[in-house]
Amino acid sequence: MNPGMRTSASGMIAQQKMVDVIANNLANVNTTGFKRSRAAFEDVLYETVQGPRSPNGEATINAMQIGHGVRLAAVTRIHGQGGPEMTGRPLDLAIEGEGFFQVETGDGTIAYTRDGSFTLSEAGQLLTQGGYALVPGIVIPPDATVVTIAGNGMVSVSVGRDAQTVELGRIELARFANPTGLLSAGGNLYTESSASGAPMTGLADEGGFGRVLQGALEASNVEVVQEMTDMIAAQRAYEINARAIRAAEDMMRSIDDLIR
Amino acid sequence: MTLPAIVTSARTLGYYTRLQEVTANNLANVASDAFKGDRITAQSLAGESAPTAVHTLDLRQGTLRDTTRPLDVGLSGEGFLVVRTPQGERFIRGGSLEVSRDGFLIDRHGDLLLGEDGPLHVAGQEVVFEADGTVLVDGARAGRLRFETVADPSLLRKEGEGRFAALAKTIGASGLQLRQRAIEDANVSPLLGTVDLIMIQRAYAANTEALRTMDGVLGTVTGDIGRV
Repeated sequence: MNPGMRTSASGMIAQQKMVDVIANNLANVNTTGFKRSRAAFEDVLYETVQGPRSPNGEATINAMQIGHGVRLAAVTRIHGQGGPEMTGRPLDLAIEGEGFFQVETGDGTIAYTRDGSFTLSEAGQLLTQGGYALVPGIVIPPDATVVTIAGNGMVSVSVGRDAQTVELGRIELARFANPTGLLSAGGNLYTESSASGAPMTGLADEGGFGRVLQGALEASNVEVVQEMTDMIAAQRAYEINARAIRAAEDMMRSIDDLIR
Repeated sequence: MTLPAIVTSARTLGYYTRLQEVTANNLANVASDAFKGDRITAQSLAGESAPTAVHTLDLRQGTLRDTTRPLDVGLSGEGFLVVRTPQGERFIRGGSLEVSRDGFLIDRHGDLLLGEDGPLHVAGQEVVFEADGTVLVDGARAGRLRFETVADPSLLRKEGEGRFAALAKTIGASGLQLRQRAIEDANVSPLLGTVDLIMIQRAYAANTEALRTMDGVLGTVTGDIGRV
């Protein structure tokens, strides 16, 4: 059995995974706050099939190493800023810069999101589309008329007939040493992992945290043209590896034909 | 009883099998970050009629591709960055770096990148890599990455995972430049690889044909000549 065949098969598997990642990026091109991922590959074990030698005592021939293919090393999420999409809806918030909104999930743990399309609960709490409450909670009184959220996260409302402005509190954001290490929990939520490090919380527009933009949502940072180019490259690489398997197969057959 | 030509053909087939394996590995890694291809060339040694496979590492520069990710670094020129692994210090050609939870710069396998004064602490908001390897965190100098190489490519051994082990004393790499937000592509040409595959396939078939002819000759000698 020609080991080259298995090597080429690993190349085909790798390209298949590349297409999987690209397909997921493309599927989420219109998902609010979605961050694209990139598949990274690396070579695997090398086998030294022949040590260094000097056949006639003079020139030395290098050791010969043969590699055994490729594997998926990582799927890295690229946390680049997505463009703000103006919606005009007062409870739509986009973060410009670093940071995540903190929300409380059903089991009481904190999850993190960049999707700021909030709604109000019956009690006036800010909720995500998934129904999770923003932490620390901000309760909008039922008689509030206009909700204003400033760049520094200050939520203020106009109350009563004389439109008196009342400040309710500031939105707190969380940041991570290594945001790439966050785990995707689905529903536009991320959870902390050992790779991401512990969250650092702070107020918006202070100490490196991003600004909050009212009336806008952060678009995904997927660029369709780039994904399409990557897909074409992956498809060609897949074909070339299939071609290498055919070549190895053909070589085996010609040996096979020797014995009749 | 053998004919020397049969041995030569058989050994030549061995050479082409090696060549096919190496080409297949290069092509499998066409999308691997900063992959360096292997090259096998035929060398005819005195007293041997079959080609001897000679392996060399192809260290040519790969294209730098912009990724927008701040911790992606690509190298331009000859040389490597140094990581501290459980097996000792190893070379890498940049790649997607990360920050460990205690704030140190690590590669994607979790091993520390080494600067001139040891591991680099980069906890902060913005990490900037300068072309000469200087790392700035929020504008303050955190250290400078070690740029190293060996005197000759034959002193490097690939270990997989994009890593190289130095078999001799390492020396400082001059003329190496680091680029942030970029990754070096594999230096394998899919086109040349495909052409090589075709060539290997044909050469292999030709040598099996030669083997068959020799076998026929041997058959005639043993089967027909002895008969009256």
